[in-house]
Amino acid sequence: MRTDPPTTPIRQSRPFGGTGAFLWTEVLVQAHESLAMATSMVTQTVLLVFVYILNPGLIGVALIGAVLFSAFTLGQRVLNEAAYIRIDHKANDLYLAGPMTPEGYFLGMAGGILIVYLAPIALLGALAVLVAHLSLTTSLALLGLAGLVWLFAASIGYIFSTFFRDNRAIWAYASLFFNVFGVLPPVFYPLGFFPAALRPVALLMPPSAAAALLQSRIGETTLSTGQTELALFGLIAETALVFLFAIYWARRTVRGP
Amino acid sequence: MSVEPLWSENLRKTYAVKGMPPVEALAGVSMNVHPGERVALLGRNGAGKTTFLRIASTLLRPTSGQIRVFGHDVSEHPERARPYIAVVPQEGKPFFHLPPREMIYTYLRARGLSRETSQSRTEEAIERMGLAEFADRLCITLSGGQRQRTMVATVIATQAPLLFLDEPTIGMDPFARREVWASLRDLTAKGSTILLTTHYLDEAEALSHRLYIVERGQVIVSGTSDDLKRSVGGTLKVSLPQGASEVESFRSFGEVVADGESLTIIVHPERLGELMELAVRRRLTATVGPVTLEEAFLRVVGRKIDED
Ligand SMILES: Nc1ncnc2c1ncn2[C@@H]1O[C@H](COP(=O)(O)OP(=O)(O)O)[C@@H](O)[C@H]1O
Ligand SMILES: [Mg+2]
Repeated sequence: MRTDPPTTPIRQSRPFGGTGAFLWTEVLVQAHESLAMATSMVTQTVLLVFVYILNPGLIGVALIGAVLFSAFTLGQRVLNEAAYIRIDHKANDLYLAGPMTPEGYFLGMAGGILIVYLAPIALLGALAVLVAHLSLTTSLALLGLAGLVWLFAASIGYIFSTFFRDNRAIWAYASLFFNVFGVLPPVFYPLGFFPAALRPVALLMPPSAAAALLQSRIGETTLSTGQTELALFGLIAETALVFLFAIYWARRTVRGP
Repeated sequence: MSVEPLWSENLRKTYAVKGMPPVEALAGVSMNVHPGERVALLGRNGAGKTTFLRIASTLLRPTSGQIRVFGHDVSEHPERARPYIAVVPQEGKPFFHLPPREMIYTYLRARGLSRETSQSRTEEAIERMGLAEFADRLCITLSGGQRQRTMVATVIATQAPLLFLDEPTIGMDPFARREVWASLRDLTAKGSTILLTTHYLDEAEALSHRLYIVERGQVIVSGTSDDLKRSVGGTLKVSLPQGASEVESFRSFGEVVADGESLTIIVHPERLGELMELAVRRRLTATVGPVTLEEAFLRVVGRKIDED
């Protein structure tokens, strides 16, 4: 028996260590699901067709909504993937009982999923820019707001994933949250169509807040300064809060109770 | 401060179960694993092996007691222990949509190893663990045993200072199991330390320097496999296929078990001659063999069950 110290030099992990490598892993894993990439666009396409039939003049609003909705439902993919690989593959045990950081695992997974599903979202974005004649600044605003919505949803998705012990329960519940909050509020249609009493709620929900801000930029919705601030700072604050909590929660839930 | 790769004292774990009485999975486990050692944790299903491994590998909070990995308190600072360890989880599976070569490589990269090191360790692991013929096929197309080999190869390739392997060779053929044994021996020769669980007692015997047997969350025996065999009264086993009727004459030699017509006696080597003479006088045919670890295990654990 040898008693010399281990050959591998040990250094403590840096925050976010492993993010890039796990992102790449997730890209490789997800890229094999080409059908999933197509089905990820079904709800949006169906809603776009509905809007076009009912009121072709709103197709620009709906296309912007479709981009935001797509970013939002990526959170559901994070939820599914995180729960599935933890429960079925024991990936948490494999990856997190080691030098890789829990926040790197969460962000890598979320980032990998984003990259794989980015192409159809970019296509929708390009259509939105063309059809709604978005200016450069509005296009950049769409990009930034979609990014915030994605980060919010990915964080929520990861947090939710930790509460499931059984994949079957996820099939039942996961789509509920993301579809209800992504479709029901004014994401695909103007804020003005939403009951006035509930508008503050819509302005506080990330997908509809982002949609309202963009609708106001293209003149489809009128927002007071207070409403604009509520939507923008609400979205930023909620995203920051949920993201920071997701990092805390990712670290905490490496260990079972 | 202790620099043992693994050290625990009076470790306890009680699981809370909704609407049911709590389950005491570990009832005060103390153990230590020295540098370069391969130690096997044995015990019946539900004895507490996985619970211990999960606590030691920072995946589960203990209820009380102390546990350290290379001197780092696992309860207080799990993140300090993590860079030292790698785990083959019980019933873990590689990603189905990666081939073994990519699974191993990306895993090493995620652990922070450089491209070159990851590359060379991946090839080494594929070679060593006999994965070459299916290394580039998606894991979803592999058999259960091939997937398990991929899991073990992935973790072995880390060359982590401390490895935890929970039933690593389950479902593997005898050749694959021996490849795992050889790889684990290589690893400890390079300075790593290994704690594993297995239900294959031949594996525990072939592979481990020492073993711990747990039963109902407590260590009931620890030592080498020879120690364990001696503790059941001998290292040889004599079988007398027609001996059951003569059971009383053989009682003085050691533990005797009558099963139908046949009789089995566990005996120390120094009394073998005497026993064989008696068998010849009684005109009984006898076969002599070593006591296997499995037989010793069955007796030691069986005795404990009877006591409880
Ligand atoms: N999450 C859990 N909740 C409640 N009881 C558990 C849980 N995990 C394991 N147990 C119980 O703890 C005991 C030890 O389990 P485990 O450590 O998995 O045993 P082993 O690996 O030795 O087969 C068993 O009685 C098992 O049923
Ligand atoms: Mg177990």
